[in-house]
Amino acid sequence: MGLVPLLLPFYWMLVTSLKPKREVFTATPQWLPTHPAWDNYLLAWTAEPFARFFFNSIVVTALIVTLQLILASLAAFALSRFEFQGRRVIFWIIVAALIVPVQITFIANFMTLAHLGWLNTYAALVAPYAASAFGTFLLRQAFAAVPRQLEDAARLDGCSGLAFLWHVLLPLSRPTVLAFALVAVVAHWNDYFWPLIVTNNNAVRTLPIGLGMFVGQEVTTDWNLLMAASLFVSAPMLLLFFLMQRYFVQSMLRTGIRG
Amino acid sequence: MAAARPYLYLAPTLAVLAAFTYFPIARLAEMSLHAPGAGTSLGPWTGLSAYAKLFANPLFWRVLGQTLLFVSASVPVAMALALGLALLLDQPLRGVGVFRVLYYTPVVMPTVAVAALALWMFNANGGIVDYLLRSFGLAPVPWLVSDKWALPTLVLIAIWKNVGYYMIIYLAGLQSLPRAVLDAARLDGARPLVRFFTITLPLLRPTTFFIAVVALIGSFQVFDFVNLMTQGGPSNATNVLVYFAYQHGFEYLQLGMAAAISLIMFALVLTLLGLAAWAFNR
Repeated sequence: MGLVPLLLPFYWMLVTSLKPKREVFTATPQWLPTHPAWDNYLLAWTAEPFARFFFNSIVVTALIVTLQLILASLAAFALSRFEFQGRRVIFWIIVAALIVPVQITFIANFMTLAHLGWLNTYAALVAPYAASAFGTFLLRQAFAAVPRQLEDAARLDGCSGLAFLWHVLLPLSRPTVLAFALVAVVAHWNDYFWPLIVTNNNAVRTLPIGLGMFVGQEVTTDWNLLMAASLFVSAPMLLLFFLMQRYFVQSMLRTGIRG
Repeated sequence: MAAARPYLYLAPTLAVLAAFTYFPIARLAEMSLHAPGAGTSLGPWTGLSAYAKLFANPLFWRVLGQTLLFVSASVPVAMALALGLALLLDQPLRGVGVFRVLYYTPVVMPTVAVAALALWMFNANGGIVDYLLRSFGLAPVPWLVSDKWALPTLVLIAIWKNVGYYMIIYLAGLQSLPRAVLDAARLDGARPLVRFFTITLPLLRPTTFFIAVVALIGSFQVFDFVNLMTQGGPSNATNVLVYFAYQHGFEYLQLGMAAAISLIMFALVLTLLGLAAWAFNR
């Protein structure tokens, strides 16, 4: 029983996306399209500059996740393997950022970026997300679990500082790094809110914004095309999720257990 | 030199958080005390008049109430459902892994795709949900077009989207429980329901607290579904704080008011988190 509300929407999305126009509105729902209209996907793809949006989404997501991994690795390295003044305070300053989402700060951040003349640039889409409190926290936990003796042994072999981070800490924390990267990719590929605030130009718009524009235009008419577009916008994340589901679950285990 | 290294490694992260997370809070406060226009200048000093205007506006109180309603309707229901599913999927049965993956799938979907799909399924003209209701002999429901039903419909969609996330965290919590305690209770002959309420649920407290915090912060942020499906309507029935701030900022170009709304929301979230922490640590 519980499966119907879960699975029916996915099924209905797929079936609608393959229906010719005259089979979309029928007195009794058509549970299978009689002649799958594969060209719906092509029609939807060309209804908006989706190729451009796709490209933008890839660039923006890749930039954000790469920056987050680099910055979080460095910060987590400092927090887990060094003794220094203010370590606890700095740790809490970083973690506290988790309770200040962009849905609260967006007005101020919009003003800042407008002031810098960055609106409608990749920089505006990426900069506020370049650091990740969540990623820093996860990596710190993983790095802290690497035993001290290993660090001493590495130092004797002449491997210290950033070389130790790169050759020992990161490889040993692979599952955490991967799990965090996956969650970050999904979050930023799907992000609708922030790109909506800082873009109004197709040259930098991302897929969710393109799909959102399509929703605004196509509602009440071409549901088959809208469902096709929704599917190709979701497809990369669904694919990633089904291929890597083990790591998604692992990341949840890691964050969940902590309480 | 060596002593400066950790600070050097932390500097980029701290700089980004300072610029885009902490500085903006001060900036919001400053903006809310002025009347910034569409340009980049701060505009004239207005004191607390933005707050006074908000508090005198019945629509503000309605939006605030609706936000709290959305949060208090979606969070407990989603959490209870998630716990139920996690208990079911914690059994060592065949095929359980497939279900865990399936229930998590909506979590990785873009909100825009979910909104598009929900608009179609709940559509008054040809929507499958009304068809199913009718085929069970029930009356169709004016889901998104009636001011009574629109907010509950958004709650329903948000639950569908998020329940898998909370479920996975509950599963993690369940699997980290001390088996010995559970087995001892079973051997003592405690009935399943008694075992659940006296042992499992209390042991899951930290997990429940963690999910409550995540869900609370997340559901206050609701914006995507509102903007894409109802634009706050019909007649403001689904207007919530983030959308209200967005409207003031980008439709009415009253950035000072928008900043005040955001800050009030932040204060509200902090208060509720404080209350939750107090309740769970008592």
